[in-house]
Amino acid sequence: MVEIAVLLKQVPDTNAKIAVVGGRVDESAVTSWVTSPYDEYALEAALQLVEAGGGSITAITLGPMRADKVLKDAAALGVTKLVRIWNDEWLDLDSNQVQSVLAEAIKESGADLVFCGKQSADRNQGSTGPGVAEILGAACVVEVSDFNAAEQFYLRPAASGSEKVTVNYPAVITFTKTESELRRPNVRGIMMSKKAQINLVSSDAGASQVTFKGHTSPAEKPPGKTFEGSDSVPEVVGLLRDEAKVL
Amino acid sequence: MEITIIAETQGNQLHAVTRQLVGAASSLGVSPTILCAGGVGADEASGISGVGKVLSVNGDCFSTFDGGAWATAFDAAAGEGVIMGAATAQGRDVVSRIAARRNIPVVQDVVTLSDGLNMTHPIYSGKAMQDVTISGSCGITLRANTFSPAGDGGSAESATVQQSGDVKIAVKEAIAKASERLDVSDADIIISGGRGMGNPENFDKLYSIAEGVGAAVGASRAAVDAWDPIPHSMQVGQTGKTVNPSLYIAVGISGAIQHLAGMRTSKYIVAINKDPEAPIFKVADYGIVSTWEEALPILASEIAKLQ
Amino acid sequence: MVYEALDFYDIDSQLTEEELMVRDMVRDWVEEEVLPKIEEACSEGVFPDEWRVSLGEMGVLGAPLEGYGCPGLSYTAYGVICRELERGDSGLRSFASVQGSLAMYPIWDFGSEEQKQKYLPKMATGELIGCFGLTEPDYGSNPGDMVTRAEDKGDHYLLNGAKMWITNGTTSDLAVVWAKLEGVIRGFIVETGDEGYSAPEMKGKHSLKASVTSELVFQDCKIPKDRILPGVKGLKGPFSCLNNARFGISWGALGAAQACFHSAKEYALSRIQFDQPIASYQLVQNKLSWMLREITKGQLLALELARKKDNGSWIPEHISLAKMNNVDIALDIARMARDIHGANGILDEYCIMRHMANLESVKTYEGTHDIHNLILGRHITGIQSFTRSL
Ligand SMILES: Cc1cc2nc3c(=O)[nH]c(=O)nc-3n(C[C@H](O)[C@H](O)[C@H](O)COP(=O)(O)OP(=O)(O)OC[C@H]3O[C@@H](n4cnc5c(N)ncnc54)[C@H](O)[C@@H]3O)c2cc1C
Ligand SMILES: Cc1cc2nc3c(=O)[nH]c(=O)nc-3n(C[C@H](O)[C@H](O)[C@H](O)COP(=O)(O)OP(=O)(O)OC[C@H]3O[C@@H](n4cnc5c(N)ncnc54)[C@H](O)[C@@H]3O)c2cc1C
Repeated sequence: MVEIAVLLKQVPDTNAKIAVVGGRVDESAVTSWVTSPYDEYALEAALQLVEAGGGSITAITLGPMRADKVLKDAAALGVTKLVRIWNDEWLDLDSNQVQSVLAEAIKESGADLVFCGKQSADRNQGSTGPGVAEILGAACVVEVSDFNAAEQFYLRPAASGSEKVTVNYPAVITFTKTESELRRPNVRGIMMSKKAQINLVSSDAGASQVTFKGHTSPAEKPPGKTFEGSDSVPEVVGLLRDEAKVL
Repeated sequence: MEITIIAETQGNQLHAVTRQLVGAASSLGVSPTILCAGGVGADEASGISGVGKVLSVNGDCFSTFDGGAWATAFDAAAGEGVIMGAATAQGRDVVSRIAARRNIPVVQDVVTLSDGLNMTHPIYSGKAMQDVTISGSCGITLRANTFSPAGDGGSAESATVQQSGDVKIAVKEAIAKASERLDVSDADIIISGGRGMGNPENFDKLYSIAEGVGAAVGASRAAVDAWDPIPHSMQVGQTGKTVNPSLYIAVGISGAIQHLAGMRTSKYIVAINKDPEAPIFKVADYGIVSTWEEALPILASEIAKLQ
Repeated sequence: MVYEALDFYDIDSQLTEEELMVRDMVRDWVEEEVLPKIEEACSEGVFPDEWRVSLGEMGVLGAPLEGYGCPGLSYTAYGVICRELERGDSGLRSFASVQGSLAMYPIWDFGSEEQKQKYLPKMATGELIGCFGLTEPDYGSNPGDMVTRAEDKGDHYLLNGAKMWITNGTTSDLAVVWAKLEGVIRGFIVETGDEGYSAPEMKGKHSLKASVTSELVFQDCKIPKDRILPGVKGLKGPFSCLNNARFGISWGALGAAQACFHSAKEYALSRIQFDQPIASYQLVQNKLSWMLREITKGQLLALELARKKDNGSWIPEHISLAKMNNVDIALDIARMARDIHGANGILDEYCIMRHMANLESVKTYEGTHDIHNLILGRHITGIQSFTRSL
């Protein structure tokens, strides 16, 4: 019987256009908010683990009221314990602040296993899993792409390819896309989720050590160029590396 | 300001990104200390120009990767100030744990860095950039291939320290890189072939380049329709998959509107086509007018050099 | 092409959180499981069994019914489900309409306690499939003159006659059949395997190709006495079922219209003729704006009707208006979208021609377009004009 905390973050739909207005990404223009995709794999893994060996799940999100949606969606899949952490004064929390308030809620949940995405689809940082693990004194396996509920091993990338690892609990596992098909809710689950209680907690996140300066749009792409002949290939590869920064 | 670099290694050597980390530190006027896990790459590191000191951090914990154990060992060996690593899976893990241990913030995947410390990192998968300033200590990871690498010619002093960390992860089985092919919908780089590839066997050339960079191989509908070995799951376009990678390389594809419908939002598009009038060049950021027979071997070797 | 459902007045913002979650669930399922397979299902003329299983798993069958394993969602939610299903294919929505509104509903409303317990829970999960037999070869718009009859033989009923155009007939486990008992229309539950009952499939449809349509044949078909629906007599029985199904169609047709609009808009923006996207030409814009106008009006109609269904203030004529209007505009939108797509519009690469052909059936079944006109005409004037005898 394992107690799992799943960290779910609400992010703009990954197909959404992101516009910077007045030095900040214009969140009010986002019409569709979703659970960060890697977090969905984490939740699916947690549901499978509990199905296989029993236990229970607490879904935890850090976000404003609209983030209740990710908890309701989790509830529709059968998660019964829902926690949202928020304080209306919070804006641009730094990594430490995020990790410390999450770690506090995880401790409160009694979880000895924490599942989350390898990074969120908005900040793309990948600090939360390992950082929370450090605060909890837990091990952390990152970028897990497969797991086995019965044998409790996790597949992570390695220089040679990948490797199956086991880990002592307490542990934090960060998931990348797994082979698992994400389950769909059903009407019964959706109706249950209506009744599910969200536990709203607030806490002292301390002061930020990072000065947020603003958002900018990525540099405009230079107009397309056409090169004659295969001799130009090295130049193009150089541009892909230095100008486009995609290689 | 003090900067401690966690060396990124590959096998028994330094990974190329380690020199880029040194280059970034040097651009701030700092001679960094490099920490080498288990001493791997220490000799090479001391020869990199601009390095202040190389510290081989030895300990049993380095036989398996365990971010927690490694962070414990590095934390004890590292100085104050900035802890810098590469924005790889391991680098992000270790640097964020050291930062959390020290109760200092961490910023990952930094692409510009200047005195202050001012830095920029992409958010929303590069659809926007975030600028932040940190005046105190912090952890930073840098995106590979965005900072100029430091050259040779250094002669930093080397020392060895013994550290330990509690290893909680055990490797049960190593699995060799499966030659499993990536799906176009999951890949950040896609190389697609069209009817101009001549026959399906020639797609092997695309596969071998793709494998090196973790790319997926896609196809135009003409290729899918003509050749059985090219399944519909590879088709990009209006009636195939809509893809949105950072880099899309179209080889022997004319650029019909239905094909463009599936890939025109790719961040960067490269076209290789022998016909200078092919419509694909209208959407390409970098167009190469050449046969693939001539261009692909060069592309393969140039990309291999980057790895 | 990411699907953006046209919702010009943001009408979905009127939905509850629960209704939105149901919408997203069905929309995702249609996107991932139906659209990639629909053309194949049509060309083979089958309704894939895995869709039956998924609909049952999602729990959308008999959505607005309460108890006996049914979820008891609002009629608004039921409408939204129909809209999202029909954005995939009208045949898919037909399956759900027949199962929920035409087969489960009469058992739920008019059945005995034993009948409800026996059938409804398994019908809600899709384990049992039902069909609805009203139309006959010679009686379509005027079912009141049906000739299928039942005789009371003491310890059983004997059914004789035939039904035609019955959705899900061949694949059903049970049929709710309307037949005359001593001259009065009554509902009977006939099970597959009952003596003297067969349900051959009708072939050769150019419309609703992914939906099964059948004849139901009763030749001295013997059914136990407990299979009569005790709770209703006369045309009120089948008509109350049709009210619910027609309500669902008024929403469903909008789903097909939205799909056609989406495709036409994307196509018009990407198709270049005379050096410019055809979307830049006024004649094309006029078509698109007409589509938007009609879809938006239809959405308001459907939403207000759903409100009325939910608060009980509806009359059947409200439903006639919405069914007639929304199917009519959907069909016109499909034809117009076909035009915008040029030659490409006739290919199965695009959803257009399929929706267009489907909607021809939708216009006819559940009361033809003109029958609804006559229903409204009677409502306005007080004079029925279905028959010559006043
Ligand atoms: C309804 C519909 C939907 C469609 N959906 C899709 C879709 O989803 N995806 C899709 O791709 N297409 C789709 N198409 C088809 C599309 O219109 C084009 O026919 C198709 O994309 C052409 O494929 P191609 O570029 O590989 O072939 P071609 O147009 O034949 O182009 C081949 C190119 O290769 C070049 N070439 C030849 N030899 C060499 C060489 N040795 N080295 C370099 N270059 C060479 C030629 O110059 C030429 O430009 C669709 C069409 C319709 C009508
Ligand atoms: C794909 C499909 C699935 C179906 N599924 C079912 C099912 O599951 N169960 C079921 O019971 N039935 C089903 N039907 C039958 C459907 O309900 C009938 O087709 C419909 O009621 C019309 O009857 P009809 O086809 O006999 O047309 P008719 O009644 O013959 O009508 C022909 C034309 O005459 C017009 N018309 C008729 N009477 C008048 C009048 N008084 N004044 C003016 N115009 C008039 C009609 O509007 C129509 O234009 C289905 C039909 C189709 C096509």
